[in-house]
Amino acid sequence: MIEVLDLHKSFGTVKAVQGVSFVAPDGQITGLLGPNGAGKSTTLRMLYTLLRPDAGTARLDGHDITRSALEVQRRIGALPDARGLYPRLTARENIRYFGRLHGLAGAALETRIDALLKLLDMGEIADRRTEGFSTGERLKVAIARALAHGPGNVLLDEPTNGLDVMSTRAMRDVIRRLRDDGRCVLFSSHIMQEVAALCDQIVIIAHGKVVAYGSPEELRRQTGQANLEDAFVSVIGSEEGLER
Amino acid sequence: MDRIGIVFVKEVIDNLRDRRTLGSAIIGALLGPLLILMLIVILGQVFFREGATKPLTLPVRGAEHAPNLVAFLQQQNVEIVPAPDDPETAVRNGDVELVLIIPADYAEDFAAGRPASVQIVEDSSRQSASLSVSRTRSLLNAYSRQIAALRLVARGLSPAVIQPLTVQSLDTATPQSQVLIFLNALPYFLMFALFSGGAGVIIDSTAGERERGSLEPLLINPAARREIVLGKLLAALPFASAVLLLTLGAYAVIFNVVPLEEFIGFRLSIDPLALAGIFLVCLPMIVLATALQMIIATFARNFKEAQTYVGFLPLVPALPGLGLAFIPIKPDLWTMLIPTFGQQILINQFMRAEPVSAANVLISAAVTLGLAAILVALSIRLYEREQIILSR
Repeated sequence: MIEVLDLHKSFGTVKAVQGVSFVAPDGQITGLLGPNGAGKSTTLRMLYTLLRPDAGTARLDGHDITRSALEVQRRIGALPDARGLYPRLTARENIRYFGRLHGLAGAALETRIDALLKLLDMGEIADRRTEGFSTGERLKVAIARALAHGPGNVLLDEPTNGLDVMSTRAMRDVIRRLRDDGRCVLFSSHIMQEVAALCDQIVIIAHGKVVAYGSPEELRRQTGQANLEDAFVSVIGSEEGLER
Repeated sequence: MDRIGIVFVKEVIDNLRDRRTLGSAIIGALLGPLLILMLIVILGQVFFREGATKPLTLPVRGAEHAPNLVAFLQQQNVEIVPAPDDPETAVRNGDVELVLIIPADYAEDFAAGRPASVQIVEDSSRQSASLSVSRTRSLLNAYSRQIAALRLVARGLSPAVIQPLTVQSLDTATPQSQVLIFLNALPYFLMFALFSGGAGVIIDSTAGERERGSLEPLLINPAARREIVLGKLLAALPFASAVLLLTLGAYAVIFNVVPLEEFIGFRLSIDPLALAGIFLVCLPMIVLATALQMIIATFARNFKEAQTYVGFLPLVPALPGLGLAFIPIKPDLWTMLIPTFGQQILINQFMRAEPVSAANVLISAAVTLGLAAILVALSIRLYEREQIILSR
């Protein structure tokens, strides 16, 4: 479970995040929706401890992100915006490296890697070097290494960016399966349809602030709009997030 | 601690698969020895083969004015050839090394007992001609003294009258130490090798990691930044050590297997034990080089920039080493306190088979490792800042 408590973060004079709060419960998919530059990535980067909040904090399974960074890192699997792989290592070796950094080793780690390769349908590419992989194949490796240690909380920054239709569908299946395993899934997107299709709960962010928060049903009710698309436009005041 | 090992193993395997980095490291290792070998062969030909044994070819204008002088020169193993039409241009262009001009009034002056003048046309900026010029000059002086002595004897005086001093010089330079002039470049090439060996690994694992976009995912793992930095640093050490070993191995072959005496006229060798000592002296410098590269590659905005900066790095410690080739400096304590400078002096001592003080070795190693430790701590601090993942 992720509890976000009034996070603030500025870069120089740019106020990237100014007061973001929400709760992402276990067994649910929470979508962080907002136009590009709204503060989604900055919020996620604070959650996976790469940035320190200027004010406010967040707790992962009760562990504070500023005070127990290592404990938080153990409990999350993250797909950050930057998701580069090691091109001279095979897919399996890329996953193994991160698994080992999480303290896994030997048969337990190998079993875990095999399960992930199966889950993400990566059998054919498992022992090829990742140099020359397609965007979809690279993403699979990046997801698999983020899940290598079986984290209870999964944070995905724009996971379907640059994917074709088939890969996007496969990605959505994976996200649903993670939810069905009882994990807390938090993912960001600037695409309304993407969030609408997947999320149990939506946090709409604009200009570094939460402007609406709730289930799709609640959002429609709050804004008095019949469909989510209109609800989204009405809360952020523009059509920025509707591009496809 | 385990994680340092995990990062280390990953970086070593990853970089072993990088043919380009390995290739350039090996070239960096062999470049120095090959250059030294070429220097010895080529300079050896110039300085040693063309010694007194080979006849000196001397273009002379107006040889007919001084038949006695010409005969004297010919007796001294000089081959007299006609001078080119325009001696000054020919010398300036390097067509001939020098020209001796005997003016038409030579014979008249000589017969009258006045100083008869002869001219040497030379280009003193041309190193390769200096041997022939000085040989000609000393032959002319010898002839001059001989004639002077004859004239004194003819007047009933002892030739000793005009020789209040006899200067005798005792050259203590052994053939070994003469040829060691070439070897002054060796510490510089060693420096180059130990800087180039680990550079690829460091650049790939810092600037490269960031450019690939794999740094951010890596740092999300539950590993202290210290563990990640140390793992990457340590991964460069075996590469740098291997390149250094390869370089020293090449020197061992050159100085113990290649028949150098064929080129320079005498045996020249560096004891393999001295090379082993040089390797040990170099080890702390490898750590320092790697730490320096780490900081610079971390500051660089991208891979290309890191490559450029790191490429310039070996020049910094090499400068005092280059200075050593011209100004001999004794291994005093203060020199040992300057990292890389002290080691270059120690390397020179090993090469010259001079006794090396263990205290000097230890002091220079301690100072160098101390500086490396400070730089490593600084690298860790850089990695602990959040700017490390923000694009610059």
